Amino acid sequence: MSNPPNDGYYEAYWPRGARQQRTRPLAPRLKSLEGKTVAQLWDFLFKGDQVFALLEEGLKKNFPGVRFVSWREFGSTHGGEEKDALAALPQRFKELGVDAVISGMAC
Amino acid sequence: MLRASAVCEAAGYPTSSLTCEGFLRQAAATSIGLGMANIPVALVPGHIGNKSAEQLRRDILEVTTRAVIDNLTVTPATKGDTSEPGARDIVVTGGFKEVNRYFYEHEYSDGLPIVPPTRDDIEAFLRFTNRGADEVLGVLLPDKRAATVWSIAVNGVMAGCKPEYMPILVALIEAMCDPEYGVEHSGNTPGADTLIILNGPIIKELGFNYTQGALRDGIMANTAIGRFWRLYLRNVAGFLPHKTDKATFGNTWRVVLAENEDVLKEIGWEPNSVEMGFAAGDNTVTIARYTGGGALSSVSGSTPEQMLPYLADSVLRFNNWQITFTTSHGNGMLRPLVVVSPIIAETIARAGWSKAQVKRYLYEHARLPAWEFERQLRDWNIRGVWDLKDDVTAGRIPKVFYESDDPNRLVPIVWEPEDYMIAVSGDPLRNNAYVFAHNGFLGYPVGKKIELPKNWNKLLANANV
Repeated sequence: MSNPPNDGYYEAYWPRGARQQRTRPLAPRLKSLEGKTVAQLWDFLFKGDQVFALLEEGLKKNFPGVRFVSWREFGSTHGGEEKDALAALPQRFKELGVDAVISGMAC
Repeated sequence: MLRASAVCEAAGYPTSSLTCEGFLRQAAATSIGLGMANIPVALVPGHIGNKSAEQLRRDILEVTTRAVIDNLTVTPATKGDTSEPGARDIVVTGGFKEVNRYFYEHEYSDGLPIVPPTRDDIEAFLRFTNRGADEVLGVLLPDKRAATVWSIAVNGVMAGCKPEYMPILVALIEAMCDPEYGVEHSGNTPGADTLIILNGPIIKELGFNYTQGALRDGIMANTAIGRFWRLYLRNVAGFLPHKTDKATFGNTWRVVLAENEDVLKEIGWEPNSVEMGFAAGDNTVTIARYTGGGALSSVSGSTPEQMLPYLADSVLRFNNWQITFTTSHGNGMLRPLVVVSPIIAETIARAGWSKAQVKRYLYEHARLPAWEFERQLRDWNIRGVWDLKDDVTAGRIPKVFYESDDPNRLVPIVWEPEDYMIAVSGDPLRNNAYVFAHNGFLGYPVGKKIELPKNWNKLLANANV
């Protein structure tokens, strides 16, 4: 694109702000789901109840000893009280012996 | 959902996040702001809302299950931090067209030309605030960037604002950073847009439109500040179309709605700012997100009893699926807004009605049969495992929603009369109104006082020379 003589000259600053979050490590993965307890977290949207039932079926076929803690145990992870609901999760997982988590639904 | 997964990962629990196909790019962009760019997701093919039971079964068992297993048992590849400019870096030099080309290509602009943010212009804005340029007002999701006074000035320049708008811009970003507002939800699929309501003497001092065409672009103060809001959401919060902004449709930004405080004073109704907890005469901004709504033409009558049925009926018609925010899912956070033109407000007030009485009327008359309320959410929308009886029995919502088993019983669409908001603006000599459908906790009303610089009058006088 050519710059006509009346196009001016500008030194323009970056309009964004510095990110405040550096990279954090993920939790270690499991060697297998066999004998493990998987928590189901749901935002109570988009047929998650049906999806979790199907996932239980599919995962049990691969790992007959896998156990599940239903989404009913945790309530919705989305909504007017999201922050409190999420803050309570680690303690609940400890109490329930959870090893891993499936979280839905982004739709 | 990803926020929940990030909390779990940080606590030491491996996660798999169930993600529909259209949301993979949003998940990738959002995960960076969460500090976990490699957080794994499990694909749900297509969109779940329109699958048959057979298709859903096939997709979950044949595609999603395998992905969940991988997510929980295979360590995802690391993704490092990407390098970015510093907060005060010049990113491009050149002519107007060159700067605009660069800003557009780097997703810094909204598609319209921006005013190049140069040091002289940025400093002119900074003179209109007592705050330091590096002061951080908050950290905004999804990008988790610092909301600094400097970046407010930069985006204000870009939007075409005048330097004297700066005190309003600062108050707006304070409101954006308020956790009660819920800015992190601004990319949700209904594509709601924020409405800014302005109150106080600053309306006249800065020349805002508060009469005919109150919500139309064309008046600089109303329009440029509305554009600033969207630019800040884009550049600092990080909401970008096709990435973190998942509006199915969306709109352009809304211009600022300034209340007609002359009329409010004449009829003895408190301005919106007082309802938000401020003193009459304070300069304030109020923000909330609205998914839509619409205009009511010709609200006719010479008494409240003749006019209010039309308003109540329209409140109901324009707030349909939004009643999800009235249930326990939304924690009763639906706040419908009704903007009435001065002639309507004057007619109602002349009969001795206060704003509170109008709200009470709307609460009592904008009601739905319970079966219709439940059909909207349970059968038509997204709430497969829910009904009003359960919510009331569990003490999650007020008893008024389940006073009998009669499916034809009428239930309100908000918890309390005070949940309604009423503002007065628009053409003083036309009897129209506008109902805004609120987005609940995904943009809850938040008000902030506008702090003026100590030498405001002098600065303003110089600016107007």
